[in-house]
Amino acid sequence: MILAVVFANSVGNILVERFNGVPAEERLHWRSFLVKLGADNLKGVKNEELLVACHKSVYIVYTILGDVSIYVVGKDEYDELALSEVIFVITSAVKDVCGKPPTERLFLDKYGRICLCLDEIVWKGYLENTEKDRIRRLIRLKPPAEF
Amino acid sequence: MAQPLVKKDDDRDDEAEYSPFLGIEKGAVLQEARVFNDPQLDPRRCSQVITKLLYLLNQGESFTKVEATEVFFAVTKLFQSRDIGLRRMVYLMIKELSPSADEVIIVTSSLMKDMNSKTDMYRANAIRVLCRITDGTLLTQIERYLKQAIVDKNPVVASAALVSGIHLLQTNPEIVKRWSNEVQEAVQSRAALVQFHALALLHQIRQNDRLAVSKLVTSLTRGTVRSPLAQCLLIRYTSQVIRESGSTQTGDRPFYDFLEGCLRHKAEMVIFEAARAITELNGVTSRELTPAITVLQLFLSSSKPVLRFAAVRTLNKVAMTHPMAVTNCNIDMESLISDQNRSIATLAITTLLKTGNESSVDRLMKQITNFMSDIADEFKIVVVEAIRSLCLKFPLKYRSLMNFLSNILREEGGFEYKKAIVDSIVILIRDIPDAKESGLLHLCEFIEDCEFTYLSTQILHFLGIEGPKTSDPSKYIRYIYNRVHLENATVRASAVSTLAKFGALVDSLKPRIFVLLRRCLFDSDDEVRDRATLYINTLGGDGSVVETDKDVKDFLFGSLDLPLVNLETSLKTYEPSEEPFDINSVPKEIKSQPLAEKKAPGKKPTGLGAPPAAPLSTVDAYEKLLSSIPEFANFGKLFKSSAPVELTEAETEYSVNAVKHIFDSNVVFQYNCTNTIPDQLLENVTVIVDSSEAEEFAEVLSKPMRSLPYDTPGQTFVAFEKPEGVPAVGKFSNMLKFIVKEVDPTTGETEDDGVEDEYQLEDLEVVAADYMLKVGVSNFRNAWESMGDDFERVDEYGLGPRESLAEAVNAVINLLGMQPCEGTEAVPNNSRSHTCLLSGVYIGNVRVLARISFGVDGPKDVAMKLAVRSEDEGVSDAIHEIVASG
Repeated sequence: MILAVVFANSVGNILVERFNGVPAEERLHWRSFLVKLGADNLKGVKNEELLVACHKSVYIVYTILGDVSIYVVGKDEYDELALSEVIFVITSAVKDVCGKPPTERLFLDKYGRICLCLDEIVWKGYLENTEKDRIRRLIRLKPPAEF
Repeated sequence: MAQPLVKKDDDRDDEAEYSPFLGIEKGAVLQEARVFNDPQLDPRRCSQVITKLLYLLNQGESFTKVEATEVFFAVTKLFQSRDIGLRRMVYLMIKELSPSADEVIIVTSSLMKDMNSKTDMYRANAIRVLCRITDGTLLTQIERYLKQAIVDKNPVVASAALVSGIHLLQTNPEIVKRWSNEVQEAVQSRAALVQFHALALLHQIRQNDRLAVSKLVTSLTRGTVRSPLAQCLLIRYTSQVIRESGSTQTGDRPFYDFLEGCLRHKAEMVIFEAARAITELNGVTSRELTPAITVLQLFLSSSKPVLRFAAVRTLNKVAMTHPMAVTNCNIDMESLISDQNRSIATLAITTLLKTGNESSVDRLMKQITNFMSDIADEFKIVVVEAIRSLCLKFPLKYRSLMNFLSNILREEGGFEYKKAIVDSIVILIRDIPDAKESGLLHLCEFIEDCEFTYLSTQILHFLGIEGPKTSDPSKYIRYIYNRVHLENATVRASAVSTLAKFGALVDSLKPRIFVLLRRCLFDSDDEVRDRATLYINTLGGDGSVVETDKDVKDFLFGSLDLPLVNLETSLKTYEPSEEPFDINSVPKEIKSQPLAEKKAPGKKPTGLGAPPAAPLSTVDAYEKLLSSIPEFANFGKLFKSSAPVELTEAETEYSVNAVKHIFDSNVVFQYNCTNTIPDQLLENVTVIVDSSEAEEFAEVLSKPMRSLPYDTPGQTFVAFEKPEGVPAVGKFSNMLKFIVKEVDPTTGETEDDGVEDEYQLEDLEVVAADYMLKVGVSNFRNAWESMGDDFERVDEYGLGPRESLAEAVNAVINLLGMQPCEGTEAVPNNSRSHTCLLSGVYIGNVRVLARISFGVDGPKDVAMKLAVRSEDEGVSDAIHEIVASG
């Protein structure tokens, strides 16, 4: 299960958070845990360089893209490797929508699109689509190219 | 936001200023959502409003029921628009709002229409939305379409239906299971993702059918799997099949070749999955492990942190069972200690601590010391725990490890971290006698500057028990008395108690302790003054060197013979009045744990949180309980109480377990009974025991329980006589007998007339192990040598064919009921021989040591050589008899 996908800006404000199977009372804890993790480790990291951590039996893969830090949390079959696949899809889709690693402003400008991308990538905690070209078409309700 | 000192960038400033969502406010957005109702829809405007709503939801904002309903109804109007971008947003918005069952009906027809649309993408999305918001009744209506969609030639439609199936399986399994044929067809799809989703769903549908899973795996491992993700799933299912086939024979393990082949796959995730699967095989041999370890070793020096992490995490697990297999990677792992990513570094350290040998400990400790300063507390705790187990593994190295612990104890750190260190030191003091004095001094130094009240009081308590038994108790007094001056009231009070314990146990110190205690009489805190007064009066002797009374020692060191929960309840119900609170009114019965908890495997006591007193205190509690019953008063000292044996299945009407109490010439069965039926009251509850299969036992008395109300555990006892000092064994059958009365659950009134009834319980056995106390020794070799071979008895036994060597070792340990020493109860996988060291105290308080060498002879036959040393010839023989007759 992919427990959470969280986007935050450079000062730790949440831009997008999507939780699956995480009780509401634990979300706040996760939010601050992730933001702190990013603040401690993401300084000076290159765009899309993946960092990894584990907390109890839960795995976290996170990275930075432009001004935005991205965190993906998973457990069981979504271990660090599966999550790195998920985050790769997310970063490439975001880059695709924004045309480059986004500033916070650009990210917010494209907010609706990005939500649609996430909707195509993660469906209630499971990875659904993995190719950015296909996702680009799907969010415009176009059938995939290879079809 | 603080601006860094860089060249001012005007563009950037503008961007920060005009966020599209600046000042966004829920009420205003909800107002804006009225545009959805316009007769002339503006798709662009509507999309923007939906984006704002999404932004609000994603920020954790929630809509009230009324707001959500309003927005939902408005959004459904947007189905009128033919704008594709807007339609896509509408689908997402409906999912985000997750309408309630009575609202769903509004969109059902629109979605059904889309589901039959010629446009593939409408179909796919409508399926996803419908499946997200639908319930069982609607599902049967659309089932036909879903089945078609699974085999749709458009992969997006097929995937949408399959993924929906995965979710629906949780809520409506019986419907989804009917799609098996279509899903099976989809597994053969040429589209990689469809195959992945179909495989996942098919496996979930069939997961309880072993044969079907095995067939699935067999056919797919021969065919082609297109996506690496599906390949990973296949590897997981394959290892499941291997696990369930139960074959541990080496050489011809089914599917091993497939797994090994996957190690050469082009996708890293497949390689990892295969390597992990191989390392987790049951009874994996080093020949099987080698290729997997080799690929993992290569990943250790990968440039990608995720791969390094995955590799070191897997190797860390392997190191627990096969430390030798991982030693080849030690050099690579040592270089990871300086890895930027602290998760990786910590895993590397803990792996090295597991694989290292005694000679490498010092070098490793040096590296860790540099590393500790720049990692977070949570990682430090992991390292501390690894060091603790290393120290228990190599007790001779305690000096450098203890020094390390005391050094890090002095550094900055949070409560959890400090607690982990203190716990470790306590455990080392307990298990390695040589480490005691230095360990206590480290703890003393720590409390001189400890900011955590909890840790200070725990350490003071521990000092009070261990300190007086050291060679020079007086040196600890200074540290303890300093607390009385420098700390808060809680710590001061526990320092006073600790001082009193020194005074009670060390007679020569008593006069000086009295001086100190008298000074505490002027403390500003009531509790501290009260304690000081109490101890001055109880210690006696008015400050001269006299021996302390036994009663006083019992009072100071004995545990409270009441369950704290009961005391708490009684105190809460006590109403202040003329009549003082009577501690004798607190019930002593221990409420039995709920069944679920009972089934949980026992946790090892760790450190201060659950000090060694924990198991002791149950023995104490039993002792107190039994001594409070006059009939058992002349049975003498309790030798041993067994762990509770369940005599009923879980979740039956009456839950009963039994504890066997062994005395020198008596055995008492304590039956803990719980009545789980709310409308019943049981009275006059006894257990009728048939001891015809236990010839040496004669029943002497049975103590019934007067009443057993619902959910309030109670005990009944049956006592037997047996020949003195003889470890008699036998089997007892049990029948619970009682009078049952109906209770009106609303009024709580009980009917006057009851009916006599019986309830059959499982048999209870008294075995040889009941006469053995598990008492370990920290250094078996020393104990063995000092015991001498005067009463040594050696013999050889064939144990016949056994499932595995580990199973045989375990069986012998259980048969004898002795304490395995130095971790020798763990048998490495696939080893052909093993030596197990056991220690215990036999009835009559005779110390016994056993050294057992096991060997596998032929394919499965296990033979063993048992050498027993004890303080009594008869006991050495008795141990052999137990083995011979077991």
